[in-house]
Amino acid sequence: MTATQHEPGRTGRGSDAPASTKPRRRWGRPTLYTSYGQEMALLNTRAKQLGVLAIIAVAAYLPLTLEDDLLALLGTGLVLAVGAIGLNLLIGYAGQVSLGHAFFVGVGAYTAAVLAGDPDGRYLGFGVSEAPVWIVAAGVVAALFGVVVAPLATRLRGLYLAVVTLGLVFIGQYFFAEWREMSGGPGIGRESAVPVVLGNDLTRDGAYTEEQKLFWLFLVVLVIMALLGRNIARSRIGRAFAAVRDRDIAAGVMGVELGRYKLIAFTISSFFAGVCGSLLYVGSGQFSPEQFGLLLSVQFIAMVLIGGVATISGSIMGALLIALLPRLSSELPAFLPFVSSSPTDHPNVFEVEVGLYGALIVAFLLFEPRGLFGIWLRIRTYWKSFPFSY
Amino acid sequence: MSGAGTTTAPTVGTTTVATRVRDRAASDPTAVAMRHKDLGVWKEISWAEYWDTVLTTAHALLALGVESGDRVSIQCENRPEWLELDIATVAVGAITVGLYPTNPAAEVAYLLSHSGSCIHLAEDQEQLDKVLEVIDQCPDLRRIITVERRGIEGRYDDDRLLGWPALQQLGREHRAAHPGAVEARMAAAQPDDVLTLVYTSGTTGPPKGAMLTHANIAFGLKTVVEEASFVDPPAGPDDLTLSYLPLCHVAERFFTTWYNAGAGTQVNFAESIDTVAANLTEVQPTLFFAVPRIWEKQLATARIKIDSATPVKRAWGRFWLARAERTGELLERTGGNHTLGSRLTYLVGWVLFYRAFLVRLGLRRVRYASCGAAPVAPDVLRFFMGVGVPMHEVYGMTENSAIATANRPGRVRLGTVGEPLEGAEVRLDDGTGEVLTRHPAVFKGYWRDEEATARTIDADGWLHTGDVGEWVGGTHLRITDRMKDIIITAGGKNVSPSEIENLLKASPYVKEAVVVGDGRKYLTGLIGIELDTVSDWAQRRGLAFTTYADLAAKPEVHELVAGIVKQVNERLATVEQLKDFRLLPKELDHEDGELTATQKVKRAAVAATFEELVSQMYAVPGGAR
Repeated sequence: MTATQHEPGRTGRGSDAPASTKPRRRWGRPTLYTSYGQEMALLNTRAKQLGVLAIIAVAAYLPLTLEDDLLALLGTGLVLAVGAIGLNLLIGYAGQVSLGHAFFVGVGAYTAAVLAGDPDGRYLGFGVSEAPVWIVAAGVVAALFGVVVAPLATRLRGLYLAVVTLGLVFIGQYFFAEWREMSGGPGIGRESAVPVVLGNDLTRDGAYTEEQKLFWLFLVVLVIMALLGRNIARSRIGRAFAAVRDRDIAAGVMGVELGRYKLIAFTISSFFAGVCGSLLYVGSGQFSPEQFGLLLSVQFIAMVLIGGVATISGSIMGALLIALLPRLSSELPAFLPFVSSSPTDHPNVFEVEVGLYGALIVAFLLFEPRGLFGIWLRIRTYWKSFPFSY
Repeated sequence: MSGAGTTTAPTVGTTTVATRVRDRAASDPTAVAMRHKDLGVWKEISWAEYWDTVLTTAHALLALGVESGDRVSIQCENRPEWLELDIATVAVGAITVGLYPTNPAAEVAYLLSHSGSCIHLAEDQEQLDKVLEVIDQCPDLRRIITVERRGIEGRYDDDRLLGWPALQQLGREHRAAHPGAVEARMAAAQPDDVLTLVYTSGTTGPPKGAMLTHANIAFGLKTVVEEASFVDPPAGPDDLTLSYLPLCHVAERFFTTWYNAGAGTQVNFAESIDTVAANLTEVQPTLFFAVPRIWEKQLATARIKIDSATPVKRAWGRFWLARAERTGELLERTGGNHTLGSRLTYLVGWVLFYRAFLVRLGLRRVRYASCGAAPVAPDVLRFFMGVGVPMHEVYGMTENSAIATANRPGRVRLGTVGEPLEGAEVRLDDGTGEVLTRHPAVFKGYWRDEEATARTIDADGWLHTGDVGEWVGGTHLRITDRMKDIIITAGGKNVSPSEIENLLKASPYVKEAVVVGDGRKYLTGLIGIELDTVSDWAQRRGLAFTTYADLAAKPEVHELVAGIVKQVNERLATVEQLKDFRLLPKELDHEDGELTATQKVKRAAVAATFEELVSQMYAVPGGAR
């Protein structure tokens, strides 16, 4: 059976008939799609358009209302979200399990710091101060590392791939720690890149505080990267990723070039990780090599699993939750008197926080495998199918 | 809008459906004429494109040597090509003959040979095989046009076959060589010319071809679109309809092809009869005509979905449906007019429930809904009135171009088919109570059947409909039954079986009901269960079953239906009560000759097929409980 669908009589229409009608949307009929463009549109319903607009508006307004410390935390969440989107493209969409995300984040962070660093300072620096330049450069350099690693992925699957990428983290940590001229060495670290946008140093308080300005910068970057991620996911590449994830042999039979798409997946994912890394320590101003250890990789995986596998908005939700976790656990002593806020007592909030990662991952995998996005999906389906259940 | 055709009419001749399409293409070329779903997307066809294809197709018919008065037959599911070939045929002065896609080969042979069709459109391989099987019995048939290519191209070696693209190519060549040839034919059309043969489905005997003329259609359109417009504002280019009933049936033809040409409504073709529910929710039509079967199915689906919803939704749904039932009863008393109280209740309900409910059923935007073509239980209509669908029962038949009576907004009387339309005379025969109609849309006669024509139209021009009716309140007509279906029991009582059957069919679990008892001591029934709902019911009770026959044979199912029969019996007089019933072991089917193409039960055929079940009910002494 051939897949070609014959369209009788429709082919000759364009020739003698006047200009054919442009596809239009009919009011009040959200599912009456008159062209593929409408159906595949990024925001294909009015509700989605308004919803996204409202969320962005609220996010842009937040810096004017929140305290600076909470704002810094949320800002970190936004940056982490960029990395989580990248990892989700790799794990969620393309199905390639990777524990090496921390390595690419590290590459991004050092690229940015080196590029933006003071040429006359203690550590390596080239004095490229404009943030957009070093953000993109950090992404590109990380992506190049992704290209180098990708050939391994085309030969390995599942657990083996996970172990190999795990090795990447250790190799990375060794290099970061030993190349002291660049990183400052373990326990000491170096200053992170200073964000300068069009000549304005965002770390200097002016009409707005540093945290406010950084939050807005992070928000802009996240919106751009999320849009990029969403578009990759719903395009030809995203569909190829999904095919590889669901069954690589079947995908190969269908004509999806496995090697090529695994390479693309690692490259894109690393690019996102690089961008994330370039901004991750901008708020704190200082970072050291041991931060790019296995824990960071696990945190990213937690964001993906808790947020929702193979969803962009889920990645953002997961990243924000993980970023806010320390803050949430620090509130615990008020409710649970036996939890101490002092690191010397046991159990203390830091131990609880680590335990919470694990507990959250286990709980989500058991009870809500689709993550936070799954919860949202459930709510949406409940009202979408109202007053029926299906 | 439709005035464009009538004002220019004197200079170019008779207004036909073809000139209406042409004039609309000239006045509003980019407006949407129809949509059809292709690979998941609703492709739009503008009026200009529609007319362009019609013109090319008409030229192709000329190239194939179609003369005025020749017959062109179409056996095809609803799709743009049906309308395009139909209008093209009318444009060249030929006569369209529609066949049901479900017509088996034997019926195809009869219809093609009886009509003397010279060009036949067979949609796909299935329809083509039917024609080729019986082509020796159709001496007049010269060419067969096919629309779908799959399974046909390269596999059939027959000079008479012509694919749709080839037909268009033929038309383009002829159009270039003879510009204006089609227009000349259109200008020559006379009001009295026949434009279509509509074969009646024939519950008894072979189908008869009713000849409808341009004047018939013109009167019909004038009545329902211009004069007695049942919606305000009148139906126009902003209205959407869903086309899914067979186009060869006069009701769908009227509502799709002629209405589209006359009022400019946008036709949306459903993918198939099985996807009507899904297509309804996509299209959300503003004008919706359905046969009772569809309304019954919608009602059953809604009830089942509410019953199987989560507890909170279920309670919520039941609460509002109970309110709707009260509203429906109120509207029944007031003829469809809200009181202040009911309007307020409905307003609150609309926000909290009915709006979402109607969206899910695809009826949210419906501003005029009608039911006709077969008898319907008032309960079904009341339900839809209650939830806010402006529901109207209408009455008409092939022989009067579907123009007779209709319930009007604000003057609805449930259980009746409404008041006579403007310009239509309706009266009851003094002796038999038969409904007689007389107006300019009464057909010209049966094709090649003078005798049947004489029996149907009397000397004064009255059409004998064959339906028995009575006046309710002096204004509204109630149809009792088909004359030949009236059961006279051994006790001499006249009983109308369809009323009892419709009460039974109002239950979501009953799909078919056939009441028997002509010349017998008491009435009994053959009942067919609705597979969807009963299997759902059985599953929720953990009742295992394999096939339809197995399910119908379950004692639990028998008990379920017995409960429904008991409820119905309570509402009937003693002579009308069913003393016994049997469940049909199979679904009734057109192919097996138990249903007509319009899904009406052929009583005689059913009674004959299930003779054994019937005799059981009368043989067993304990049958009469």
